[in-house]
Amino acid sequence: MAKQFAYYPGCVAEFSSKELNATTQALAPMLDIELLPMPAATCCGAGDIAEAKPNLYLTLNVRILSQAEEMGVDVLTICNVCTLNLRRANKMVKEDPRLLEKVNEELVAAGARPYEGTKEVTHMLWYLAGEEGMSALEARGPRGLNGLRVAPYYGCQLLRPSSVMGFEDPDKPQSMERLITALGGEVADYEGKSKCCGFPILLAREETAFKESHVALAGARDARADVMVTPCPLCHLAMDAYQRKAEASNGEEYNMPVLHLPQLLGLALGLDNDIMDFGRHMVSPEQALATAGLV
Amino acid sequence: MPATTFDVFRYQPDSSDTPYRQEFALDHSDKVTLLDALLQIQDEQDGSIAMRYSCRSAICGSCSCKANGRTVLACMAQVEEIKEADGSDTIQVDPIGNFAPVKDLIVDLDPFWEKFRSVKPYLIPDGKAPEKERIVSKEAMNKVYNESKCILCAACYSECNSLAADPDFVGPAALAWGYRFAGDERDGQRKQRAKLYSGEHGLWDCTRCMYCNERCPKGVEPRDAIEKLGGVAFREGVSWGDAGARHARAFLVSVRTGGKLNETLLVPFTNPVTAPLDAPFALQMIRKGKAPSPLPHRIKKLNEVKHLMKNVKEEV
Repeated sequence: MAKQFAYYPGCVAEFSSKELNATTQALAPMLDIELLPMPAATCCGAGDIAEAKPNLYLTLNVRILSQAEEMGVDVLTICNVCTLNLRRANKMVKEDPRLLEKVNEELVAAGARPYEGTKEVTHMLWYLAGEEGMSALEARGPRGLNGLRVAPYYGCQLLRPSSVMGFEDPDKPQSMERLITALGGEVADYEGKSKCCGFPILLAREETAFKESHVALAGARDARADVMVTPCPLCHLAMDAYQRKAEASNGEEYNMPVLHLPQLLGLALGLDNDIMDFGRHMVSPEQALATAGLV
Repeated sequence: MPATTFDVFRYQPDSSDTPYRQEFALDHSDKVTLLDALLQIQDEQDGSIAMRYSCRSAICGSCSCKANGRTVLACMAQVEEIKEADGSDTIQVDPIGNFAPVKDLIVDLDPFWEKFRSVKPYLIPDGKAPEKERIVSKEAMNKVYNESKCILCAACYSECNSLAADPDFVGPAALAWGYRFAGDERDGQRKQRAKLYSGEHGLWDCTRCMYCNERCPKGVEPRDAIEKLGGVAFREGVSWGDAGARHARAFLVSVRTGGKLNETLLVPFTNPVTAPLDAPFALQMIRKGKAPSPLPHRIKKLNEVKHLMKNVKEEV
């Protein structure tokens, strides 16, 4: 039986980075995952609502968790920032019954379902790199990545703070390395893989943000990666959509195609390229993928 | 008796401008802290190793350094635990990052203290002092409890990604101290503080890399304090002047009108003056399908959300 999740793609994957959502939805049945929609879920606030109205952030996120609880399943995310915001809210109310009671009073007053604190939030990377995901992948018999040299880029909010995230050592993450290797790719290791992409301040402090994305882009380039892969659509925007601007601002050339994690899996499993829609990327991965015989 | 090799960053500007590394092999007891191990090396092998330390009890905040790349308080870090975590009998010891080295593990903390002073890290009450003390409830003090634990060790600056990109960023500890007083009910300067901490290099420059929360040895959670300062700025009406604050406001408008983020609203909302100048880039984004409809993206049960947005009270 397929593993069911309440699917929380987050706003960016639903709108500006639709290729991520489409790829995830197509990939899920191939890996024995059933994604149940959450039509009444809001934005998690991306840290911005928390930064403006902390109590509102908490209430909105607990409302999302309560919807998953009503569906009777855990939440599956495909964005670092959504994962942190939802997990943090979950931890806050699970550890403090009085706080949960207070939040529930607000939810009930608004006509929303109160939360009992019984659900978990898992990023797709964690599920896939875990036992169940790995055996589902194995059962699928991936055609492989033909030695494509892949630089894993984790970003920040799937790793830190470890007290909230806790899946792996934030200083020595290995989940993407495990997947890349299992899929027949070659890992391009580099120091900047868990540094910040700068996206949270990209619009407000562009120059600073580009200095941040430089660390990982230059690191992946110098590690001779064919492509970079990320589990976060916000990191993807910073690394791909804004890469040419970062090059101009930093006086550098990166030419680094950046894949969404589900696209990397899709390539290894032979998913239709039209669904993965690499044409929506600002830095085209087509040439690197063609050289490896993947498109 | 365990044995460990310490691979120490050395910088002795009196004799050479070039830093180098030096290995020290040490036999030590089972439960030795990194600080005690370094002091043993200083005592038995090389008296010239320079480091700051004082209390040896995680109170003075002097001995922060890096062990295998992670910022720690040397007096809190157990040598055997570091070795076990990293699967190696060698520990690399370095000065904290984002500061200029002065000598060996000692860095120039002047910029840190300047930033600390710049946030006015002291209580500024309104009006005349009362005849007796100002009584504060336990509940009110709990609001600033985390921030009160800061020992100014600068571990949170060491790996701060915003600071690495912008050396003028005021930084996590200073902002945590800012909230320590902005959140104190006896302080009379909330609005002035909100203005002081906003603006270039201030609270809206935090890139949320979360290294500060990860590394703080005292549980201050500086990133959370920065977030609360944003909340203070919003409550005090200081939320239009800075692009970072307007960026946050765009999220509130998006959620109120549709429930989901309206990405196309973000750019002109954050940078109303400069956004039109970026038209070529906007066109590229449109061509790649990365500029979704500017109409609100409506979720089901939006009424619940509107009710929450109207009624949830903030307490920062």
